[in-house]
Amino acid sequence: MKLIDRYLHEVKRHLPRKNREDILAELRSSLVDALESRAGEEASEEEARALLKEWGPPREVAASYHPEGQYLIGPALYPLFRMVVGIALAAVIGAQILAWGLAIAIGREPFVLWEALAGLLNSIPMTVGSVAIVFMILQRFEVRPEMEEEDWDPSSLPQVTDTEEVKRGELIAGVVFSILVLVLLVAFPEWVGFVSLPQGRFYANPVLGRYLGWIVLSLLAGMGLNIYLLWQGRWGTVTRVLKVAVNLLSIGVLALLVRAHTSWLAARDAEGFLITLEKFPELLEDGFQLVGMHAFRLAFVVALIVTSIETVVLIYRLVKAQLGKEYSSQGLKSQIN
Amino acid sequence: MCNMIQEKLPHDVFDKLTQELRRGILVLAVLSRLDEERYGYDLISRLDEKGLEIEQGTLYPLLRRLEDQGLLTSEWNVEGSRPRRYYSLSPEGWTVLKALAGEWRRLAHVMDEMLEDISPEGGENEID
Repeated sequence: MKLIDRYLHEVKRHLPRKNREDILAELRSSLVDALESRAGEEASEEEARALLKEWGPPREVAASYHPEGQYLIGPALYPLFRMVVGIALAAVIGAQILAWGLAIAIGREPFVLWEALAGLLNSIPMTVGSVAIVFMILQRFEVRPEMEEEDWDPSSLPQVTDTEEVKRGELIAGVVFSILVLVLLVAFPEWVGFVSLPQGRFYANPVLGRYLGWIVLSLLAGMGLNIYLLWQGRWGTVTRVLKVAVNLLSIGVLALLVRAHTSWLAARDAEGFLITLEKFPELLEDGFQLVGMHAFRLAFVVALIVTSIETVVLIYRLVKAQLGKEYSSQGLKSQIN
Repeated sequence: MCNMIQEKLPHDVFDKLTQELRRGILVLAVLSRLDEERYGYDLISRLDEKGLEIEQGTLYPLLRRLEDQGLLTSEWNVEGSRPRRYYSLSPEGWTVLKALAGEWRRLAHVMDEMLEDISPEGGENEID
């Protein structure tokens, strides 16, 4: 019967490789049996059609022969996959941001934001895809991850850190550092600079003086907030927002400083940081200033990146805290009252 | 025809749960009919005679699975009007069948007790 042949041909396409011919033979035999018991030996095309319709689409019939369903990455492997992708993405994006920071600092080529973002748009699918391919292969060979052992011990669970609580040590260190820098900047601004190695002479950083006011302001703001936080003991919405604001101020000041250093270096036709380093041994006193300024600039760029990341994390925590308010004990208490 | 956005009607939920209930007993039912060598299509009629409807799309893959698990043996028989694949219980299959039957009786007893007050035996379901 032609119709049955066409049907079986289609089923065959979707069957798993194992026992394919055997399964097909069995299906053919039982299809013919079924047809015969309904319509006798001379079954018509119409009766065959009705029977096949009852049996269902070929793809479904074939699918039922796949023992564990058909998955690209099955339920057993999926949690592990998610974790690995998360880590991989964080690493790749982090590395990308770092590369951007270095590109700005070393200043070899002009930094084009558009190109930078396009690069990121490329590396994300590539990362996810690579991990997916590895896991696809694992799935194919039915590798099962061992997530939890039999003698898992509840006492071995890590402590929960209260993200709401303030880290005293960090804050105190921050305040002390700010005070030291402030004293240095205000009382002895000429002392901020670098020492040149060959002659041991000291050079002050000429750019800082211009922005002293802003630097002092942002340091004071940060210090004030830290002291307030130490007093409060916990983070709250208000303090989080304030911290974001202080960070934004710092970012602004840092950006100004980076730009100022860049133009100072450009004015002296300075080459990139690495090139300057390469010429280190042959540098005269003046040339050494360039290295020093480059170093300052690099330091500010790193500080800029770190502060930006910290700010993003802060904003994320802020949003999360707001969203989770319903289910916190304060939230529930206020609902009950 | 139901709009997919609608909430699941009790009828739909009932159908799904009934299906799951049946799926749970299929293996035992199939094993119980294979005390003699049988081929797929014949098995469907035997089960149907006893009141258990099963589709060929469910039965044939199940037979293969059970064979892979070592509970059934099979062989092709070319003597009839067409070649047919006959299945029967392996020795392990017999052991498992008896054990499963015992487990079933225990469970059925437990369920009967739990449901004593809830529905009369063989009563109509209230959903239709």
